[in-house]
Amino acid sequence: MKISADLPQGVTALLFDTARRRRGLEAGMVSTLEERGFAEVVLPIVDYAEPYEPLLTPASRGELYRFVDRDGELLALRADFTPLLARLLAPSLPAGGAGHDRPAPTLELPQRLFYRGDVVRYEEERPGRQREFYQVGAELLGVAGDEAEREMLSTFLTLLEDASAPEREEGAAAGAPPVRVVLGLAGALDPALLAAAARGADPAALTGAVARRERGEVRRWDGEDGVLLAVVEEGVPADPDLLGPDSCRRLRRLLALRDEMSDEFPGVELVVDLAEFAHQVLDPALVDAAGERSYYDGLVFRAYLGHLALPAGSGGRYDSLFARLGAEVPAVGFSFGLERLMADATGRRRSRPTPVGVPVGVEDRDEAEALAQERGLGVER
Amino acid sequence: MIRLALPKGRNLTPTLAAFRTAGVPLSGLEDNGRKLWMELPGEGLGKEGERLEVLILKDKDLPLYVEYGIADLGVVGSDVLEESGAELLVPLRLTEGLSRLSLIGYPGALPEPGAQVRIATKYPRIARRLIAERPWGAEVVELSGSIELAPMLELAEVALDIVQTGRTLEENGLTELETVTGVAPCVVVNRASFQRHRPEINALLQRMEDAGVAA
Repeated sequence: MKISADLPQGVTALLFDTARRRRGLEAGMVSTLEERGFAEVVLPIVDYAEPYEPLLTPASRGELYRFVDRDGELLALRADFTPLLARLLAPSLPAGGAGHDRPAPTLELPQRLFYRGDVVRYEEERPGRQREFYQVGAELLGVAGDEAEREMLSTFLTLLEDASAPEREEGAAAGAPPVRVVLGLAGALDPALLAAAARGADPAALTGAVARRERGEVRRWDGEDGVLLAVVEEGVPADPDLLGPDSCRRLRRLLALRDEMSDEFPGVELVVDLAEFAHQVLDPALVDAAGERSYYDGLVFRAYLGHLALPAGSGGRYDSLFARLGAEVPAVGFSFGLERLMADATGRRRSRPTPVGVPVGVEDRDEAEALAQERGLGVER
Repeated sequence: MIRLALPKGRNLTPTLAAFRTAGVPLSGLEDNGRKLWMELPGEGLGKEGERLEVLILKDKDLPLYVEYGIADLGVVGSDVLEESGAELLVPLRLTEGLSRLSLIGYPGALPEPGAQVRIATKYPRIARRLIAERPWGAEVVELSGSIELAPMLELAEVALDIVQTGRTLEENGLTELETVTGVAPCVVVNRASFQRHRPEINALLQRMEDAGVAA
């Protein structure tokens, strides 16, 4: 085989300064997490595939790298830290419901844990999508309610603000978009989607239409109150009561959390947008129709840097993940993809070279060109 | 400044007509000759003095530019969009410039259940999904143009391609064996750009709906 520096699709080697920057970013994040009382867990990159079968969606199953070991075991490369951590900890946590025959829990709660390492997922060949990427993430286990969400969102925003600070300043000067975190709630649109299903809508298709903001399709199935169209356009309805009592109560709490965090983190723009997370349904009828369920079941959030449509970090509440593994433990977590944090932290994009309509004499051409180049302008001769 | 990606080819004319009818004239576009990247007055975008950057891109490349955030929004055929698999918001479909994606071939060439054929197309992903739902099997032959020639020269029994008027098929003795799906130029928006420019983008979409050029 000819020796070259070529690597498989979606895999990158970080050399020299890029490696130093990545390690620096990682060290800063780890330091912040440790200061906040999070303890590191080091998890294997190869695991049995079978325990995750009930947790997989058709999409996530297609992303897994699976193989049969020499002793016949079906193994998988680590595609996500959270289910792996949940599976390892569930036997040591309080059992949920009847029928779980297990010794008394040995792990004290709450637990604040963090991890770092590569995850490997099959991704189609597209810009910004790596097949191997490095994550730093954290989980808070055993704290219910708003308190846990406030703590984890605050930690997420601190890490995000710190990681993007130098580039943000530089980017702001260049007119770049701010760092933006979109907040939502799993299941918040369930009542409106169920009502549309009762009017004849296909729930899976309508959920997709809301997520893609397809105005025509959403308008076709929306109720007289227009709540789904309002969510598609503005992220939240002007009157949260239209979402139904439970979703309304949850949305009001989320809006209050957003306001509180916006004051605390002025460098990050926080937006509540329920359409962004329309796929994250909780009602069993909607889950069945969609044919998959996300493991988030409460607060959900994603961070966007610059113009890239792929999030640099995401997280949320996932109590039901532990419940599906037999443990009764509230949990909130998040992770960052370090390649994306590094790739486009400035959010700048190349400006169009603008012809300068300034008449210049022949002797001045070099000076004009140098000046134009300095200012990112083009020269039309 | 919002950056709009416009498609070269069959979707350009209906796209420009739709924007103009919606009150976004894109003045000066015609005067820019072969330029691929230009700045125009952003009339109709709702902000006084707003400018608009316009990119002229091949239909096939456009979803990538919008997904990657090089452009904030654009217009692309639903056929190309589906083939690309790009993660984009798709708020509207234009009401003009409609066509259909169809299986074409000589009359009677639609495969029988259990048959194994070759299918020529510019849309291999869509073709593979289609084959998975059919009682016949097919080898997908990816071509980049003149797809109608494939059944005529027996490179493939059938082709999967865009049909607008059907005149090319008629002139070559071919027929539309089955309409697979309707195709329309779609307004696509980058997810991050939608959050950033929400008021302007919503206003533009509303104007297009109000003008009846998109739904």
